[in-house]
Amino acid sequence: MATSQTSRRRFLTGVGAAGTAALLGGCVTSASSGKGSSKGAVTLQSNLSAPQAKAAMEDLVAAYAKKGSGRADLNTVAAETFRTQLPTYLTSANPPDVYTWYPGSVADAYAKKNLLLGLDEVWNSSPDLKRYTKALHSLCTASSGKKVFVPNTYYWWGMFYRKSDFAKWGVSEPTSWDGLLDLCDKLKSRGVTPIGLGAGGNTPWVASAWFDYLDIRINGAQYHRELLAGKHRFDDPEVRKVFDRWREVLPYFDPNGTAVAFQDATTALLNGRSGMMLIGTFFADAAPKSALDDIDFFRFPVIDSKVPLAEEAPVDGYFASARSGRRDQVFHLLKYLATAEAQEIYIKGSSGTVLPCNPDAKDAGTALVKKGRAHVAAAAEITQFFNRDSSDALQPTADTALTRFLAEPKSIGGILTDWQRDAEKIWNA
Amino acid sequence: MAVLTAPERRSPARPPVSGRRARGPRRTPPLVLAFVLVPLLAEALWVFWPALQGFYLALTKWDGVSPPQFVGLDNFREMAHDDVFRSAAGHTVLWLVLFGGLSAVLGLAAALLLQQERRGVGFYRAALFLPVVFSLVATALVWQAIYQPDGVLNRLLDTVGLGSLRHAWLADQDTALYAVIVPALWRQIGYVMVLYLAGLKGIDPVLYEAAKVDGASALQRFRHVTLPQLRGVNAVVLSVIVIDSLRSFDVVWSLTRGGPYHSSELLSTYMYSTAFQSLRLGYGSALAVVIFVLAFGVIASYLVRAFREAD
Repeated sequence: MATSQTSRRRFLTGVGAAGTAALLGGCVTSASSGKGSSKGAVTLQSNLSAPQAKAAMEDLVAAYAKKGSGRADLNTVAAETFRTQLPTYLTSANPPDVYTWYPGSVADAYAKKNLLLGLDEVWNSSPDLKRYTKALHSLCTASSGKKVFVPNTYYWWGMFYRKSDFAKWGVSEPTSWDGLLDLCDKLKSRGVTPIGLGAGGNTPWVASAWFDYLDIRINGAQYHRELLAGKHRFDDPEVRKVFDRWREVLPYFDPNGTAVAFQDATTALLNGRSGMMLIGTFFADAAPKSALDDIDFFRFPVIDSKVPLAEEAPVDGYFASARSGRRDQVFHLLKYLATAEAQEIYIKGSSGTVLPCNPDAKDAGTALVKKGRAHVAAAAEITQFFNRDSSDALQPTADTALTRFLAEPKSIGGILTDWQRDAEKIWNA
Repeated sequence: MAVLTAPERRSPARPPVSGRRARGPRRTPPLVLAFVLVPLLAEALWVFWPALQGFYLALTKWDGVSPPQFVGLDNFREMAHDDVFRSAAGHTVLWLVLFGGLSAVLGLAAALLLQQERRGVGFYRAALFLPVVFSLVATALVWQAIYQPDGVLNRLLDTVGLGSLRHAWLADQDTALYAVIVPALWRQIGYVMVLYLAGLKGIDPVLYEAAKVDGASALQRFRHVTLPQLRGVNAVVLSVIVIDSLRSFDVVWSLTRGGPYHSSELLSTYMYSTAFQSLRLGYGSALAVVIFVLAFGVIASYLVRAFREAD
């Protein structure tokens, strides 16, 4: 028995040593440096797994294949899986070539680690991309000065409501913060929950929209971006001001705001149980067609007129892996994805509430979309959303802080201290 | 998660290795050797190696993208001052006691109740076992609907006149953890019941006869015949409960994600969220190591004691 024990132990040690050696040699944990295959269709890894969006992507890939100059293989992955696997995709030896993802600080974080394919050649040679707005140009440029992203569509956030309900209640869109509070008062006296939230279930991030908007209205977009990048502190007095404002409107929030997911909250909005909601246009994907024409929105009220007007208008699009072996084919596909034709195909196939980045591409043409386009165009600054302006890793710290604030607004001091401590762990990670 | 499954899978691999080697390596037929070595190799590749990697990663700072940076025991030092870790550990202990204790007691009770072969008893057994068949994520979806602010539970309270108890069960920090334990328990009881049913079947009826003849009451028969005879099953149930408690993840994650603000956070959900949401894989691995040590420690110490008694 004794001999068998030692020999087994020795064997295990051997296995362990071999494992550790292989590990240190960098089989799994460090970046391998192989190049992907250079033949065959470009692989397009997509997180657009909602039925309509997925079908729209399939249409798009089919249209590209029809052109005959190149082929793309679409691989749709569930959004949550995609998010957690993206670092693995990008660091693997034989990665997918092109990915749906976000520009700005999220893409830049990968670009800094040399994981993204430089796309200057695409931007310089595509007649379409040259005509994109300046804001998009800078959004798609990494801190190294290289272009790393090709934008596709964008959408906007606003205070959404049903026109017929507002008419029924005899109220109208507010234009100022006090107007918003008045409106809430009126709705409350009519027995309607003034403001729906939907930060429960698996969508606590929706509450960040309120934080973002109050911050860009009170402290401005510049400060907001710096705050999220760790250049200011969450326990600073500027941030405290954001929550002081929020507390003014908090009594009008749906008391179940942190108990129901945004899908349920928007259902309540569409059924007239709540008055309005700060939400992105994606909520309309699930709205019945009959309700779509009845949906309208107003701008989140300006609080300080000295602060340049900023709006949240997240951009979606594509980047490519630096390890892709099909450089030329990738460039060709990305050039196509930047064309008006490609973006129109996508918009036609999807729910049609997104706006194309290509200035020549036609949007869905509804009154809502036209208003949205003007709404974003009027803004001096564009922000993307909390996680896109910082990182997905920082988002849970906001979720924890904001959910707690909604439940215990009085302990805001401690909440902000904790938030800063949690955020530092992420920034220093 | 690989670390978590390691102890379960490792134990069956052990006896063949030591048992066969004991007869002397020279006499071992090559076929037997192949039967031992091939699974061991697969095991080493798929279980030991990732587990060892986990141990190594626990000593590093790693974001999943850049090469990991060796930081020694910093992660464990950070853990000592981490409030969230402390509350998650507390919740895990509470979970172990409530979920483990209740499922063992209720599982045994259900087994005793349903052990007699009567007409229709199969139906009840099947009904209690049914939740085990469902995936926990599906179970969680159903319970999520039950717990909704205008869900079944609140409506039920309204109808019986307890409307004042209406609650956003999963969104309130005081109720979230308990609200999550219930669905987990609902499932586990059926599982434990089946284990105990098998154990009860194995008890020789002669023992009961003899006890009856000696004038033992039903309670005495339970105390002095059933419980001692179930000792072997108890070891299995304890291992299953400890492992299941420490790896309880899916039901919590689907229902609350450890929220609201960490009030239903378990070590397992905290490990997942630090590793895959905050992308602090080094610290996440350190948490996984702690979970592994806890699970392995409890089970190993119990098994050692149980085997010693058996000898």
